[in-house]
Amino acid sequence: MKKIITGLVLFLLVAAITAPAQDEFRFQVNEFTLKNGMTFLVVERPTAPVFSGVICAGAGSALEKQGAIGTAHLLEHMMFKGSRMVGTSDYESEKDFWIKEDSVWARLERAVREERYVRLNHPEKLAEHLAYIESLRTLLDSLAQASSQYVIQNEFDLLYSRQGAADFNASTAYDFTHYYVSLPSNRLELWFNMESDRLKYPAFREFFTERAVVSEERRLSVENESDAKLFEQLIGTAFIAHPYQLFWEWQSEVNNLTRQDLADFFNAYYTPQNLTAAIVGDVKTAEVQKLAEKYFADIPVRPDPDPIYTEEIPQTGERRVEVHFEANPALIIAYHKTSFDSPDEPAFRVIERLLGEGRTSRLYKSLVIDKQICLSVSVDVFPGNSLGDKYPGVFNIYAYPKEGISSHEVEQAIYEELNKLIQTPVDTKELTKIKNNIDADFIWYSYNNMGLAYNLATTVNLAKDWRYLSTMRKNLLAVTPADIQRVAAQYFTETNRTVATLVPTEKGEAR
Amino acid sequence: MKTLQIFLAVIMIIPALGLAQVNPRDMKFPAIEFNPAEPERFVTDNGMVIYFLEDHQLPVVTLDAYFKGGTIYDPADKTGLTGIMAALLRSGGAGKRTPDQVDQDLDFVGARISSQAADHALILELNILKKDIDLGLTLLADMLLKPKFDSARLALELSNAMDNVRRQNDDPHGISRRVFYQTVYGSHPYGQFATLESLGKIARTDIMAQSGRFYHPDNCILAVAGDLTYKELQDLIKKYFGVWPRGMKPLETIAKAQAGFKPGVYYAEKDINQANLRLGHLCMTDDNPDRHAMEVMNYALGGGGFSSRITGQVRTSAGLAYSVGTYNYLRPLMGPLFGYCQTKAESMSQALQMILDIIEEVKQKGITAEEMDLAKDALINGYVFNYDTPAKLVNAKAMLELRGFPSDQLEKDLITLQALTLEKCNEVAKFYLDTKNIAIVVVGDEKLFDKPLATFGPVTKVSMEIK
Repeated sequence: MKKIITGLVLFLLVAAITAPAQDEFRFQVNEFTLKNGMTFLVVERPTAPVFSGVICAGAGSALEKQGAIGTAHLLEHMMFKGSRMVGTSDYESEKDFWIKEDSVWARLERAVREERYVRLNHPEKLAEHLAYIESLRTLLDSLAQASSQYVIQNEFDLLYSRQGAADFNASTAYDFTHYYVSLPSNRLELWFNMESDRLKYPAFREFFTERAVVSEERRLSVENESDAKLFEQLIGTAFIAHPYQLFWEWQSEVNNLTRQDLADFFNAYYTPQNLTAAIVGDVKTAEVQKLAEKYFADIPVRPDPDPIYTEEIPQTGERRVEVHFEANPALIIAYHKTSFDSPDEPAFRVIERLLGEGRTSRLYKSLVIDKQICLSVSVDVFPGNSLGDKYPGVFNIYAYPKEGISSHEVEQAIYEELNKLIQTPVDTKELTKIKNNIDADFIWYSYNNMGLAYNLATTVNLAKDWRYLSTMRKNLLAVTPADIQRVAAQYFTETNRTVATLVPTEKGEAR
Repeated sequence: MKTLQIFLAVIMIIPALGLAQVNPRDMKFPAIEFNPAEPERFVTDNGMVIYFLEDHQLPVVTLDAYFKGGTIYDPADKTGLTGIMAALLRSGGAGKRTPDQVDQDLDFVGARISSQAADHALILELNILKKDIDLGLTLLADMLLKPKFDSARLALELSNAMDNVRRQNDDPHGISRRVFYQTVYGSHPYGQFATLESLGKIARTDIMAQSGRFYHPDNCILAVAGDLTYKELQDLIKKYFGVWPRGMKPLETIAKAQAGFKPGVYYAEKDINQANLRLGHLCMTDDNPDRHAMEVMNYALGGGGFSSRITGQVRTSAGLAYSVGTYNYLRPLMGPLFGYCQTKAESMSQALQMILDIIEEVKQKGITAEEMDLAKDALINGYVFNYDTPAKLVNAKAMLELRGFPSDQLEKDLITLQALTLEKCNEVAKFYLDTKNIAIVVVGDEKLFDKPLATFGPVTKVSMEIK
C-alpha cells in the first residue's frame, strides 16, 4: 500500500506514455457501463489461466481538504481492513467499540487543543490537565485493545493470498487511487466479491494503529530519503495555490485524522460514477458482465463530486529552495506546464523524451557523456500519470552533479540545452527517433495484463473514454519542430522556474 | 475537516441496496489447471543452449542471454571489475560501431539492450520489435563477439562508479544492506563491495581478461520468446552466432561462505529519525533440501506479507512500521536469513524486541497447521504466475539450467510443497532459526533510541568512511 512517488523514483508499472491507433490496437476492448454509472473494460487474453483486475477511483490526494491531508492515502490503507463480513468475527459488537473510540478521540483532541490555554491562563492546573490527556490516551488504547478481539487480522489479504494472488496492492496518486491484483482466472468471482464488498461495506477497523503505519511510511519514504525530501520542498515552492503542492501528507494532519474524515471522503469520491474497473486476461466478457451486474450494480448513485476549482496563480519570478541533509548534492529544476488535455501537452511529452529518454537523449549525451559533469540526469512530468494529469503540473529535470562539480555549473549546462530547443528546430531524424519510440512503447505497453488493465482503467477517469489512448498517440505523432520551439520558448523561462538544491551537511550538524 | 462533536452514531457509509453477498471466506474454488507450453530447447554446434517459445500476440521479441560467471569472480583487490565489464560491454562500442553509434542505432528504433553482472551470472537482455530483429542481433552479436571496450567510456564508467561509492551513505537502506552483508560474509566474495581503491586499480586489460573468462557460446544459454517461428530463430542464431568459436574454460570453484562474524549489534550512525534494522545470520544454500519447508515456515514467520506473524504484530497490531518482515535469501554459496524493519527511532528497541521474540517463539513452538496451510495454498495457487507469459517461462527454464537444476525443478518444487508436513516445517524452524548468533545492523541516531543498543549485545560502531 503505497503512495505513488513521483520525482527521482518513478512509478514503474507502465513505462509507456503512448497509446494505440485503433487499427494497431491488437486486443479488442469490450466496454459496458452499469446503470449506476460504473464502467467496466474487458480484454480477453487467454495466454495463461490468469487475469489482472484494476479498479481506478477518481479520488486522489489532490482532493483532500486542508486539515485532513492524508485522507486519501489512509483511506486506501483502510480499504485493506476488510468489510462488515471480511476481517471480523462480529461486526455489530466491534462497531460499538469504534463509537466509543471515536468519542474518546474527540475528547482527547479537544483536551490537547485546550492545553495551550491551560498553560497560559491556569498554569497551576497544567499537571492535572496533562494527566487527564494521558488518561484519555490510556482509555483509547484499552478500547482499541477491546475492539481487536473481534478482528480477524489481515483477513482481506489472506483471502486473496491463499488463492495465489500476485501484484496485490494499491496506490494513491494525486488524481486517482488504484486497487490492483492478479489472480488465477478461475478465481474471477472472488475478485468481484472481494472488491465489491469493500466498496459497499468498508469497515475502518484498527484505525489508530494504521494511522501510525502511514506515519512510518512518511518517515521511510520522505523524511529519511534525500531525493524525496528535496522533491517535497520543490513542489511546495513551485505551487502556491493548487493542491499539487503537497508531495506527501503532513505528519501533523495525519495524526489528527478521524474515521469521519475517511467516511466523508469515501462518500464524496468513491461513487460508482467515479469508479472504473478493467479486467485483462483469461476471462469472457459475458461472464464479467454477469458478475458485474451481480456484485456492483447495487451500489447506489451518489451526487457527482465537485472538481478542483483552484487554479495555480501565475508565477512572478524564479523561486529557489535549499534542503540541508546528510547526503551528496542533487538538483531539481521545475517549470509549470499543462494538463493532459491542453494543446501544448503533446509537445511537452515529446520534449520529455528528447531531453531525457535513453542514452542518446540530449541531457544524458551532453551532461553525462560529453561534459561528464553529472553522474546521472533525468526528466519527468509531475504528478506524472503515464497518460497525463488532470490539472496543470510541472516539468522536472533532475541531476546529480559529479564529485567536485558545482550545482551551479550543472544548472547552467541544463539551461544551455533548453535554449537550444528554443533556438534551433529539431531535425527530422531526431524527431523520427522520438516517434519510433512512441510507436514501440505503444506496443510494449500492452505486454502485461496488469499494465494494460491499469492504463485502460485510468483513461476513463482521466478522459471519460478509453479511446483517449488512440487520440493521445495521434496527437503525439503530430507534434512538429515548430510546436517544440513554441512550447519550449513559452514555458522554459526564468520566471516560470523553480530550482531546488540539496546541500550536504556533516553528521550532527543542525538540519 | 475535524469535527468538534462527540460521535454518538457510527460513521455512516451510504450502504448498498442489495442483499448481502456470500462471505468471500466461504467461497470454494477448483484447483488451477495449467499445462504450460513446453519451450523448444536446442543446442548449436558451438554449444549455445536455446530455449524458445513462439508468441505472436505482439510484433515483439525478447531475448535474454545468460552466462555462468558473475561478480563472485572479481579479483580480490579489484572488486567491481565484473560489474564495470558488463556495463562496458554495452556502452563501449561494438564491431564497426563507436559507442555513440551503438546508442544511436538502438535508440532510433526504440530497442533496448542491457548488460548486467549478477553474483552468479552475466545477463544481456534485448527487447525489440520484430521488424528490427536483424539490427538487434547484429548489435548483440557484435557486443559479444567483437566488443570494443572503448577506453574513454571505461574511464567514464569507472568515474561514475566512484561517484556512486561516494554516495553510498546517502540512503539508509543501502547502508543497512551493505553493512549486513559485509558483516555476515566477512572476506567471502558475497561480502565485497567496490571501493574507490578497488575501482582505481581497474585497467582496460583487466576488463578484457575478465570478459574472456565468461562470454563464450559454450557458456551461453539464450531464452527467446516472441513473434518468430522456430525455423526463423534457428536461422537467425546460425547467421549471427554461428561463427562464434567455443572457448570456455572451467571457472574456479569458490568455497561456500562460513559464519565467522562476532554476534552483536553493528551500528552505523546517520542523522535520520528512523532506525533502519536488518538482523540475521547465514542460513542455507539454494539447493538445500530443507528449502521448501523453510519457505513455508518463513511465509508464516515474516515472508508472507500481511499473512505473516511479524507483519501482523509489528505493523498491523502495533503500528510500528510500514515495511517489516523476514527473508530467506537462497544463494548457491550460502544465503542469509534476515529480518528487516524501519521504525521511528523512539521505537527502535520495541520493534526489534518484538521481531526477536516472534522468531524465538516460532523456533520454540513452531507455526500452526493453519499457518502452514495458508502458506502452502498461497505458494501453490500462485505458482501459475511463474509461467503466465511465454517470456517468463523460457527465462525460468534458462535460469534453472544455468543454476544446474533439472528442467522440471519447478514442478518438483510444487510436489515437494504439497507433501510438506507441519513436523517438517517446525523441525526446520527449530534447526535454522536463531536469535543469539546473529548480526543486528542498526542505521540511525542512537541518541533518539528508546533503549541503548547494548541491550541487544556487544555494540560495534561501523566506520562510515568512504574508502
